[in-house]
Amino acid sequence: MDEKFLESARREPRPEFTAELRGKLARQVATTREPRRLALRPELAIAAGVVVAAAAALIAFPSVRASAEAFLDLFRVRNFTAVSFDRARMDKLRSLDAGKGLMVLEHASGEAQAPEPIVYPNAAAAGAAAGLDVRQPGYLPAGFALDTVMVEAQGESRMTVNEPKLRALLDALDLHDVTIPPGLNGQSVTVRRPPVVIQHFRRGRSEIALIQARSPEVTLPPGVDLERLGEIGLRILGLDAGEARHIAASIDWHSTLVIPVPLEASSFRHVTVQGNPGLLIQSRGEAGTEHERIREGTVILWSEGDRVFGVMSGLSGPDLIQVAESVR
Amino acid sequence: MSSETAVLSRWIPWSAPAREADWEALYAEQMPRVYNFFRYRVGDGAEAEDLTSATFERAWRSRARYRGDLAGFAAWLFAIARNLAVDHYRARRPHVPLEAAESLAAPGSADRDAAHRSDCERLLVLLSALPDRERELISLKYGAGLTNRAIARVTGLGESNVGTILHRTIAGLRERWDRKETHHG
Repeated sequence: MDEKFLESARREPRPEFTAELRGKLARQVATTREPRRLALRPELAIAAGVVVAAAAALIAFPSVRASAEAFLDLFRVRNFTAVSFDRARMDKLRSLDAGKGLMVLEHASGEAQAPEPIVYPNAAAAGAAAGLDVRQPGYLPAGFALDTVMVEAQGESRMTVNEPKLRALLDALDLHDVTIPPGLNGQSVTVRRPPVVIQHFRRGRSEIALIQARSPEVTLPPGVDLERLGEIGLRILGLDAGEARHIAASIDWHSTLVIPVPLEASSFRHVTVQGNPGLLIQSRGEAGTEHERIREGTVILWSEGDRVFGVMSGLSGPDLIQVAESVR
Repeated sequence: MSSETAVLSRWIPWSAPAREADWEALYAEQMPRVYNFFRYRVGDGAEAEDLTSATFERAWRSRARYRGDLAGFAAWLFAIARNLAVDHYRARRPHVPLEAAESLAAPGSADRDAAHRSDCERLLVLLSALPDRERELISLKYGAGLTNRAIARVTGLGESNVGTILHRTIAGLRERWDRKETHHG
């Protein structure tokens, strides 16, 4: 008798039992469903880009959601672009943050986190709550139907910059050649996040999410050098000095949302949606931690006037572009 | 379960705290573990399925609390499973004398499948004769496939203590098993 033998009495559960219990759990969830929470706060996605875009250097930490959300409002989104980063760098940032709490932006007033989304019975009701003429897709792949409509209420918060922590972060990353623009410490950034409408369309376990909002707004201290801060953000993401400088100089940091995407697991390309500039990001999927993984899927972000849209799904790029093109 | 809406969040490191749990993946992975924990713990058959169902139904009611900590959720699942096993024994404590294990025929057939089934049945009967704590640890280790560290987390025992108890229990099982082999040999 050895360990292998002791394990040999294991059995796969009967398929009928597995399916029956799965169904029972699904029914239980359906009958006790709380208002659904978004895994991704849409503005957080925007925030991530703005982190790089605007003061990126100042944050760059996963635990600093409030900080990230604050930075989303540093500008109005008109264009999108993406920057590849090495996942190892993000792991390093996480470990630094976990060990030292290097929060570069400190919450000063207003909401610290975005509120939970509220479920509405239909798009019209959500639109009335959000003060937005909610647009809907004219085309959905066969079998998809509207499942849930939610609104995340508007919010405002003010953050202040902690320059010593930024310096500590740069040191921890061995970025000793990076100079911080003078006068940042204690400066405040005010974030105003308009309401966000999220529509979920479902076909069995597959889902398409359509997110729309007016562009968030941020009030910055006068004289902030966004290009310089963006360059620092890119360095923090792992780009070398020359690359960061070159990319930073090529971006309009007042209107471009820069999305960091993991080099190993995804690709991106610029697209046009209804004649407007957009970005398509495709994930090839990636094994994650024990129960988390990066799923295969597609995200399309685009803007139209003062509005930003995002559509995301496990569908292929061409299918999702068709959905995006049909949003009216 | 998580949805494709999580895709973007998974690209964006800042959104990590908002990662949504992949409940379907968790179910697919943990259900067989919980089921086999009960098979080793209370025996094969309908009881193992009933207790597995009860564990998941209870856990699912409050799963939202564990959205950001699926490892914690898995540990919680087994905490529920342990409690249900205790309740089960309180309600109906089966008495399985050690002789029952020895009464099962040792494999002598040329039919390997039949021999394997017989071995497994005999093992489960041997397990049923173990004291509660030993059987629980064997069930967590070899039924559910947990590591000693995970077992320590679930049971509150020290990791080295878990290893020691398992070692001693396996030695006892082996001795009883071999004793029977000798009888049949």
